[in-house]
Amino acid sequence: MRKKILAIIAPLILMALLLTACAPGATPTVGPSPTPVVVKETVVVEPTLAPAGPVTITFWHTYNEVSPENEMLVETLIPMFEEQHPNIKVESLPVPWEDFRRKLLTSISGGVAPDLARLDIIWVPEFADVGALTALDEAMSDFDQYKDAVFPGPLSSNYWAGHYYGLPLDTNTKVWLHNQEMYDAAGITEPPQTMDDLVGQCEAIKKVNPDAYLFAADGTWAWVTLPWIWSFGGDITDLDVTKASGYLNGPKTVAAYEFWLEMYNKGCFAPVILGSGIDPWSGFAQDLYASIDNGPWMYPIFEAQFPDKELHASLFPAGDGGSINVVGGEDIVLFKQSEHPEEAMEFIRFVLSPQYQLKMAEVGQLPVRLDLIESDYIKNHPYCGIFLEQLRTSKSRTAHPAWQKMDEIITNAGQLILRGEKMAQEALDDAAAQIDALLEQ
Amino acid sequence: MRSKITGDSLTAYAFLLPGFLFLAVWIIYPMLKALQISAYDWSIMPGQVSEFVGLDNYVRALHDGLFWLSFKNTLLYAGVTVSGQLVLGLVVALMLDQITKGRVAFRAVYYLPVVTSWVVVSLLFKYLFNASPAGLINYLLVDILHVLSAHIPWLNEPETAFVAIYSLGIWKGVGWTMVIFLAALQSIPAEYHEAASIDGASSWQIIRLITLPLLIPTMILVMIMLTIGAFQAYIQVALITGGGPLHRTEVLLSYMYDRAFTDLDFGYAAALSYVLIFVVFVISQLQLRFLRSEPMY
Amino acid sequence: MVYSKQKLVTNALLYTLLIIGAVITVFPFLYMVSTSLKGPVYVFEYPPRFMPPEPTLHNFVVAWTSKRFDRYFLNSVLVTISTTLLVVLFSSMMAFAFARLKFVFKRPLFYGIMIFMMMPAMTLIVPQFMLASTLNLLNSLSGLVLVYVAQNLPLSTFLLTGFLEQVPRELEEAARIDGASSWTIYWRIMLPLCKPALATAAIFSSLGAWDEYPWALTVLNDPLKRTLPVGIAAFHGVFYSDWGLVFAASLIAIAPIITLFILLQRYFIKGAISGAIKG
Repeated sequence: MRKKILAIIAPLILMALLLTACAPGATPTVGPSPTPVVVKETVVVEPTLAPAGPVTITFWHTYNEVSPENEMLVETLIPMFEEQHPNIKVESLPVPWEDFRRKLLTSISGGVAPDLARLDIIWVPEFADVGALTALDEAMSDFDQYKDAVFPGPLSSNYWAGHYYGLPLDTNTKVWLHNQEMYDAAGITEPPQTMDDLVGQCEAIKKVNPDAYLFAADGTWAWVTLPWIWSFGGDITDLDVTKASGYLNGPKTVAAYEFWLEMYNKGCFAPVILGSGIDPWSGFAQDLYASIDNGPWMYPIFEAQFPDKELHASLFPAGDGGSINVVGGEDIVLFKQSEHPEEAMEFIRFVLSPQYQLKMAEVGQLPVRLDLIESDYIKNHPYCGIFLEQLRTSKSRTAHPAWQKMDEIITNAGQLILRGEKMAQEALDDAAAQIDALLEQ
Repeated sequence: MRSKITGDSLTAYAFLLPGFLFLAVWIIYPMLKALQISAYDWSIMPGQVSEFVGLDNYVRALHDGLFWLSFKNTLLYAGVTVSGQLVLGLVVALMLDQITKGRVAFRAVYYLPVVTSWVVVSLLFKYLFNASPAGLINYLLVDILHVLSAHIPWLNEPETAFVAIYSLGIWKGVGWTMVIFLAALQSIPAEYHEAASIDGASSWQIIRLITLPLLIPTMILVMIMLTIGAFQAYIQVALITGGGPLHRTEVLLSYMYDRAFTDLDFGYAAALSYVLIFVVFVISQLQLRFLRSEPMY
Repeated sequence: MVYSKQKLVTNALLYTLLIIGAVITVFPFLYMVSTSLKGPVYVFEYPPRFMPPEPTLHNFVVAWTSKRFDRYFLNSVLVTISTTLLVVLFSSMMAFAFARLKFVFKRPLFYGIMIFMMMPAMTLIVPQFMLASTLNLLNSLSGLVLVYVAQNLPLSTFLLTGFLEQVPRELEEAARIDGASSWTIYWRIMLPLCKPALATAAIFSSLGAWDEYPWALTVLNDPLKRTLPVGIAAFHGVFYSDWGLVFAASLIAIAPIITLFILLQRYFIKGAISGAIKG
């Protein structure tokens, strides 16, 4: 009798073990489904089998899954690359922006990092610092050729502790975008030149619709607050990034936050800045928010989502420090865990080619190659110009492995100030002390 | 005789084996592993050394204001939602017990939120409690019912954000308590009530003096189950407020998750998990005592 | 006469209150349906309109076709079916042992099952994540199934043990006299007898697997492998949410569960009562 039970149980255990065993990272489904799964948009996910056939490299990025950028990448550019390199297959993986850092770090810890990633420029120091990235200036024999071909600003975001850990992929900054219908209704004839203009504009907007707002942003993190801090003449740390005291809590930074508080209390800034409400894009599209500051990617998105709405761009309003916004953009990095670094570097060369850069420019990604800025395409482009102009004065966020924590401290300080729980000076004193402690480590 | 027992045991173990294999690999081993991790400043990066810190992570929790806040928030969530579900579920059950027609239909309707996914209802409530005048709750309370004079940015303040989170917890759970109470009510022998009404007791007196006392064991059981359930709260917080503003709506699990997967502080997160496991363990001991003293219904 | 009039008033009051409660309960669902039928432009209109002016299925079409929701649906179906089959099989075997067999360490083992049943599943997410990463199970649906089985086994075992204990001894004894093995008794006698309980266990395991969110969110990277809850949450972006789409997707996800509930209400309720378990 026992034998019989064993005979019945054994297959069950086997089945359980099989379930466990037949589960390498790339197997797409359990159960009796065919292995290669073809989905529309021609993404082909194949299990990474023995490298008999072409080599597959994985490329993670934060292009929105359903976006013109992703479509361009997956339907035009990757096929183009694969045609030029029949021995390499590129698997593109879009990850939501808010999950990206966590997914990357946990994947590195699990040994399943991708070969390549398009990384926000501000994250490169952190990933380089944990030892996850390959120093491209050592690994790529022709690195200097690419180094000389791109803008020095975006390039410098790849530099950490003596090495370049990536190459710039695209660059951007934010400009002032306004809702023409709301401006017209309020009798506003031109976009704000200075911070002082904002006060009057807000009154005009509120007169037409008390539930409308002059400006909306989706949080108090550095990406949102820095343009105001800098344009007011303030800063976060000294140039060498050794301390925040005297900068983040200096009089100019404090003045920027006090201006914010005043605007918020008057109902000029939408409450979504504290975390909830109608998001800036929808509010802008629905004539609730008269202006936002945002990047070039907005154009293709708006065209797709809100075809009736036109975007009107101007420079960020100037304060004592000038009109300064944040430099954004992404770098392409190669992970140490990559099993096919040579093939991956081939893809890096491809994304830095004029061909790739121009194609991506069509969907709102500003190119990083010096030679392209002079090209007719860019010169005649409907909206690249204003961003390039803003980029002349834009500044970069602090390059430091602890940026994520610094940003959280800045975010919290902004929250405390706008909620009226701490005076600007007090909140920024505390924040500066916390950042000082971080920088000392 | 002896060999028979062993034989029986072997048969039984054979039946238990496949299931226990799963439990051993995915629950028991992780429990032990968590204990180990919690004693380290755990580095998840390959090739980096984790430092043994003994009980430091637990001590750290004691001094961590955010941990205590998330603990307090969890207790408050439990307190408010458990009593809300208990009272409303009981009231609905008592009403359903009285009526003769449509009981099954009502029961189905009230039970609907219970079977709906947390992700869906959390997003739904986030939408209902939108800060703008166009948010449905704002519109109902201000423009229709005139209960409030101004539109509230519900999710921007911890107090009002918890109103949204609590209402969701109660709304989703009332159906469950109702079903349990209804079953208990219908198992009360009809003679009790008949005897009382012959004595001239009013319906309210019958409920107060006979029905409710008979329901006390059920109430305790429901209360313990709901409390254990309340400690599982994560999705509603993660999706409605994300723990914000300023981590002020964090509950234990959302805080633990944040430490683990935003800060990658696995050691500390594991220690926090153990604190939670301990709390739930204590509550579940009460529960087990009640399960043993059945029958309940 | 007076009595019945009073009774009439009481009844009217009861039904009024019950209907008000029912309206509060279903209203959010109806609003979700109404929002999903609006175009993106109307989603945050003031004043909010309950009936969409020009109802359209546009959001459902977009969710299903261009947003790969078909794929998430398929993933969820695969994961749920695999989980449920394994859970029902293994937990009924365990329950059979606990309910009908004598063995050493029975009490402590069953006690362990009950503790696992009450422990919040998410507390083990960190070590489970590390284990999954060691076993190369990150970013795979099998990684989901294995953990879901472990998560749902204790509850299901508890439920079925309670049921199997009530099966009369005589049936089993008669079979034993006829020389039936334990397996035969389990497979031929017990399982057919406890079909309703198996259905209940299956329903609760399916619900657990269909709705699970934190584990799937943590281990899945590839959008093609997302399950429904992760897919829905991903539609709700941090910067911008197309609520019409979110709710169209949500309705697609909850439709099977609601259908199942309407058809098998009895089992849902029975499960809730007998195990005092919460969906």
